[in-house]
Amino acid sequence: MSQRRPIKFRILELFLDGKEHWNYEIVSKIQEEYDMKSDYGRDSINFDIIELASGGMLKDLEQKVDESGIYKKGFLLHRYRITDFGITRASDACLRGL
Amino acid sequence: MIFGTHFLPQFIVQFLRILDVDISKKYLADIRRLHLLAVELGLGDPPSLREFHSILKNGGTFVDLKTLKKQENKRKISKGYMWALFCAVFWGLWYLPGTVVWVLNPFDEMYAAIAKASGDGMSLVVTAVLITAFNALTVMLALMVWNGVLGKYGELGRTLREFHPCSKWFFLASIFGGPIAILGSFIAMGFIGGAFAAVAGLLYPVIGSILAYYWYGEKISKRAIIGIGIIVLGGISIYGGGVLTELSSGNIPWIGYLGGLMAAAGWGIEGAIAGKGLDIAEPDAGLTLRFLGENIIWWVIIVPILAILGFPMYSFAFQVFEPLTLLVLVFAGITFGFCYVTWYKSFPLIGVGRGQGIGNLYGFCAVIFIFLFFGDMPEWTIILGGLLCIIGSFIMFTEDTSALETLRGE
Repeated sequence: MSQRRPIKFRILELFLDGKEHWNYEIVSKIQEEYDMKSDYGRDSINFDIIELASGGMLKDLEQKVDESGIYKKGFLLHRYRITDFGITRASDACLRGL
Repeated sequence: MIFGTHFLPQFIVQFLRILDVDISKKYLADIRRLHLLAVELGLGDPPSLREFHSILKNGGTFVDLKTLKKQENKRKISKGYMWALFCAVFWGLWYLPGTVVWVLNPFDEMYAAIAKASGDGMSLVVTAVLITAFNALTVMLALMVWNGVLGKYGELGRTLREFHPCSKWFFLASIFGGPIAILGSFIAMGFIGGAFAAVAGLLYPVIGSILAYYWYGEKISKRAIIGIGIIVLGGISIYGGGVLTELSSGNIPWIGYLGGLMAAAGWGIEGAIAGKGLDIAEPDAGLTLRFLGENIIWWVIIVPILAILGFPMYSFAFQVFEPLTLLVLVFAGITFGFCYVTWYKSFPLIGVGRGQGIGNLYGFCAVIFIFLFFGDMPEWTIILGGLLCIIGSFIMFTEDTSALETLRGE
């Protein structure tokens, strides 16, 4: 990636493939890309996902308890898909240069 | 081994597996007996029989996802309300340095000097410009420290670069929240009075929530509308007595009303615009850009224009480096900065309407802090207003959170 975009842009960009993604998959990918490997970085990225879902750009499809500690042991994991509104906002924001 | 609400001790699970226990419903009596045994063996809070059955079916873990999701959503909404409440507290606290700074050098001397030449109303507005410019500067410093502590300089730079899709919203918010709202508030204060300015400002959530609803379809429930309405009424009651006195004092210049309108519309529009930008930006980065915009407006545009018009802006600005004045300005910067941090953080979680509604409690908080620090005894209308504010907040706090999972429709 030549120049990194704001984290919420990148999250939406990852969802623009139209597939469903678990939050821990997105969090670990962003942690890797933005070199945010601390627990604080992890929680901060997850909070961005929560804000995107709260803003109606991602739809929460499924949940499961994190038993293996893949994200945070005992916490709820979420599987999201981008919404039509999310696609519109992402298209405004993220498609530049793609 | 402790019996948690959601987890069964592993030794019991292993034990059941070794015995190859059939956990289907037809062996309910056995399951009941096992449950009793588990309760006797376990410590702490044992699960119910239904939960116990579910635990066995799920290989040792009781997963009531619906409840867990509901709890998680409730925590998220509570966090949003907590941010908005902190906003009200910081905003109320800001009135202490915001009031004191007017009687400190060089601002008191500036006010007197300009009043002599251009009249009290104009002097108040011009002095307010310099105070607000310094306020924006100290807020910016506080936000840079805040972003540094959070390690968000990288995100700040990335967000700044995305002008077209993102940072333009924050610069636009700075125009409405800075010169329009703040200047409008000071114009209302200068030409009519402080109480009128306060009441006009308190109407901003009405404009913010209507705009957010019509512009980008932010959901707002009847309960939230009632809560916001009661808080606004509470605010009007707090400052109502003062407004009547001010309005009955004689000739009211139209510019005073315009100032009031600028305050309500400015902050309301700012919230709605910020909500749009916060869709795709982190609140801490977005807010810092909003204050970068406000600093540019004051220091690069308005202060130089006033200086060109002949007002002694720079001569008084350079006199600001007195320890007490600096201390008060820093206090103002910290309280105003964090009032905005918490305001912006509440929007993505509970929406612009609710965030602004609870943020409106600043009117009540300001009265409390001014009473505590300056000893100004509140009148009965203020106490009534405070009660209305508390009732309005409770109506909003106790709203069913399941409808707030997303703030917009798909």
